[in-house]
Amino acid sequence: MATATDAKKRMVRINGCVASAQAAKYADVDVIAAYPIRPYTATMMALAQMVANGELDAEYIVADSEHSQLSISHGASSSGARVFTGSSGVGVQFAYELYSPISGSRMPVQMMIADRTLDPPGDFGSEHTDALSTRDMGWLMGWSCDAQEAFDNHLIAYRIGEDPRVLLPQMVCQDGFFVSHITGDVELPDTGQVKEFLPPYKHPYPLDPRHPVSHGPQIMPEQGPPLQLERARAMEESMPVIEQVHEEFAKIFGRKYDAWLEEFMADDAEVVFFLQGAHAVTARFAIKHMRDRGMKVGMVRLRTIRPYPTERVREALSKFKVVGVIETNMGLGSVSSGGVLYSEVCAALYESDKRPLVLSFMAGMGGEAIVLKEFYWMTEKMLEAQKRGKIEKRTHWVGFEH
Amino acid sequence: MSTKGTQIPDWLKVPFAGITPAPTQEKGQDLFPTGNWRSIRPVYRDKLPPCNNACGTNEKIQGYLDLVKRGKYLDAYALIKEDMPFPSVTGRVCYHPCEQACNRGKYDEAISIRAVERFLGDLGQALAKDVVKPGEPNGKKVAVVGSGPAGHSAAYQLARLGYAVTIFEKSPKAGGLNRGGIPDWVLPQDVLDREIERLVELGITIKTNVEAGKDVTWEQLKKDFDACVLAVGLIDPNSVRAEGENKEGVHYGLPFLRDIGMGTSKVKLGARVAVIGGGNTAIDCAREALRQGALEVTMITVEAHPQEMPASPEDLHDMLEEGVELMHGRAVTAVLGNGRIDALQLHPAKFSGAINASPINVDKAAKPERFAVDNVIIAIGQRASLKWLPDEFKTERGTIKIDRFGRLGDTNFFAAGDVVQLGSGQPLMVVNAVGDGKRVAFNLDKVMRGEKLEPRTIPVDVIFDLNRMNMTYFPHFPRVKQELLPPTSRRKTQEEVIQAYTEEQAVAEAARCFSCGTCNACDNCYLVCPEPCIVRDVRSNGLYKILVDYCKGCRVCIEECPTGCLEGVPELDFETGVVRMDTAFAISPGLHGRQADELKHIGDRPAKNI
Repeated sequence: MATATDAKKRMVRINGCVASAQAAKYADVDVIAAYPIRPYTATMMALAQMVANGELDAEYIVADSEHSQLSISHGASSSGARVFTGSSGVGVQFAYELYSPISGSRMPVQMMIADRTLDPPGDFGSEHTDALSTRDMGWLMGWSCDAQEAFDNHLIAYRIGEDPRVLLPQMVCQDGFFVSHITGDVELPDTGQVKEFLPPYKHPYPLDPRHPVSHGPQIMPEQGPPLQLERARAMEESMPVIEQVHEEFAKIFGRKYDAWLEEFMADDAEVVFFLQGAHAVTARFAIKHMRDRGMKVGMVRLRTIRPYPTERVREALSKFKVVGVIETNMGLGSVSSGGVLYSEVCAALYESDKRPLVLSFMAGMGGEAIVLKEFYWMTEKMLEAQKRGKIEKRTHWVGFEH
Repeated sequence: MSTKGTQIPDWLKVPFAGITPAPTQEKGQDLFPTGNWRSIRPVYRDKLPPCNNACGTNEKIQGYLDLVKRGKYLDAYALIKEDMPFPSVTGRVCYHPCEQACNRGKYDEAISIRAVERFLGDLGQALAKDVVKPGEPNGKKVAVVGSGPAGHSAAYQLARLGYAVTIFEKSPKAGGLNRGGIPDWVLPQDVLDREIERLVELGITIKTNVEAGKDVTWEQLKKDFDACVLAVGLIDPNSVRAEGENKEGVHYGLPFLRDIGMGTSKVKLGARVAVIGGGNTAIDCAREALRQGALEVTMITVEAHPQEMPASPEDLHDMLEEGVELMHGRAVTAVLGNGRIDALQLHPAKFSGAINASPINVDKAAKPERFAVDNVIIAIGQRASLKWLPDEFKTERGTIKIDRFGRLGDTNFFAAGDVVQLGSGQPLMVVNAVGDGKRVAFNLDKVMRGEKLEPRTIPVDVIFDLNRMNMTYFPHFPRVKQELLPPTSRRKTQEEVIQAYTEEQAVAEAARCFSCGTCNACDNCYLVCPEPCIVRDVRSNGLYKILVDYCKGCRVCIEECPTGCLEGVPELDFETGVVRMDTAFAISPGLHGRQADELKHIGDRPAKNI
């Protein structure tokens, strides 16, 4: 078996892509399926170096497309290997066929995603639509907001996905460029810590010529629903596992994450931003800036969108007057005619006694940063709605309105 | 949680994520019986290979070629012996209608079936004890008159069925036409002797120097035996009806060969010999004449071209190689000479109708040709000698009158071989006589057991069209040639002209067989099935099993079957209304099935009761 070089805990300054590659190395992956596309490519470059210089003993397979990458991953995982793959933007889309079969056959493949806007035409910037469009395919999914969290989320996701109670694939997402290409301080753990946290992968029914089994046979129409139900159960039953794993992670590595939500200056806030991923870093700065000026604003960051923590979202958001969803994704012709996060928020709040007003902000699109004055602008819109007791309109295209 | 309280009924419970055990394991494919999606079902339906069909005695040729290919020589020998008592003989002398019918002949070159048969025959000859055993004695006695191919075959099969068989042979040595009609350089005497010994080993009594009608009469046969097979052959040679045919130096084909074969020949041939006739016996006579010292041998035929001669092309080729000349389109009209032949008078001639089977038109008006010879051998066929037989059992052609089962009226006499086949349109050859003997033996057995004789009604499917097989699996590969003695030396000796296959050659040639329409356990279906629904616990012919619970009828195995033995049979035969599907449209206790049942009883029930 492959072994990461024995290492003591140390601080390094690396970007999100390299942090993901480091995480794969620490997870001692067996098979890596690579195919280049910006911005995630740097992860595979880093892994190629590690395999080449003997730091990591893994099968590094260069596929001929993303579809092949995921097919290779599916097969490798079926044979009992721990698999790492990844992609960005349209590459994520090209592999779409494989997402349901992989989760359907309950193979805990891990896919790193550094978001990229979908065409047209080619835009390298980040937008969450690539991964979000696959959100209902039975993969565990969540966003990191910086390189350290990215590193940690990869280890956490393997541990959850490979848990025999779960056995589901995972998309570990980070914003392209904002995380993938921005360097930050990352604590690389002691190898012993990882060994303690992440046991070797063991699928209960791997493909093995000595004990033949069939994976993914054709079934009868009436045999479909039970399998779907079981996949739905696995998704729901993963929730306590996710919480337990986050606690164990905190115990072993000393970094405590809430499994579902990060709340920032939300305790006494009246209006909050609700978002995922890297814009949380600028949002924290902006919120402090606004708080200095007496505005009661806070932030709730969603860390895990699949499975979706409906109850937690309802509990967390019901206490505010206005929620402003920063989408960073496209939901053309959707409920809000903005992004898809809005409907997830509203659905969670529907059964609440105290429903806040909800606004959808189309901000950070195409890989643009959300600047301070835009945070002020959005906060103003939320405060106006609070004052008036109703919203002016559901969706605002930030930067295109007065 | 939305999935809280959900339950999956037992009949829909499946293993984790639809992962199933292997088909060979317990339960196997039972979990996902998707076979009911199928509209056609692959069925192994063996056809009759064209070689088996063409063979006069329906040897299971494809079967023994396959066994030889797999190195199971003894099994192959046992298989051939079911239909053929002396493969060592037919492996040398047969005019192999099987090879003419061989589908491979349309592709590159026909399989050299006769050579493989000889390989097996020689293997049998070397065995200390034959694989064939006599049947449990049934207390019945059968006489077989004649020990040629038909008599030999009938006696052999009857002994295997448990009869006490006695053969009566007119000549001092048994063998009939095998002995007397086939030269040593085609069939060495010791090979035939060994096969006759095999008959004795089966408990058959052979009485030589016993002539029917003279030493044993019709009445005696009737009285002393429960039944009798007459296989007396055609003995008397046909004459050319030419003036002076009784002159010294005139010989007839079969007696000429027979006397040499029996070692009683007193014939001394001159330098120039003519052979009259264009058939296989004429060819044997011409080639024998060379070996008896003739320097120039000329074959004179009515046929206008070599292709028209009713002869084996291979033998004709070998004869020409040995230096025999051909003279076509002529008939002998007189034998010239003073007491002894010194020349033939020839006239132009041709057949009046169908070649070889119609009266000859001789152009007497043309100027006669004088052809100087020292001897002439007339080989234009034989006729039966049946003076002793009751008239009611004779035909106008001078053959024995039988019904379609080979029986003489309602007597317990049967007849087989040339003596009944002459003029039937069936070519007269050893293998046809063997087949006749075999069938008559089985018919006789039925009569003895009091069973009714009925013609066969099962239709026979023979693959003649190469498109019914998958030819991509058969690369072109030339026939393995049998070695021949060089023509210059062989024309002077009695040594066998055609040499036997080595083991390697026999295997290589057998491996060329297409196995037309018959499963030869090539494993292709097993390998190409995209689902594991073909199992082969027992790997031998036709013993693959298709798991129909799982086969979705994708046709891949059918399309990829090299031999064409796999066929797609419609599951729903709308013409006959036959439903072959054994799993209907839903798994037995399935949702669809239940609903269909419930709908029948729904009636006018109110909504709350539905």
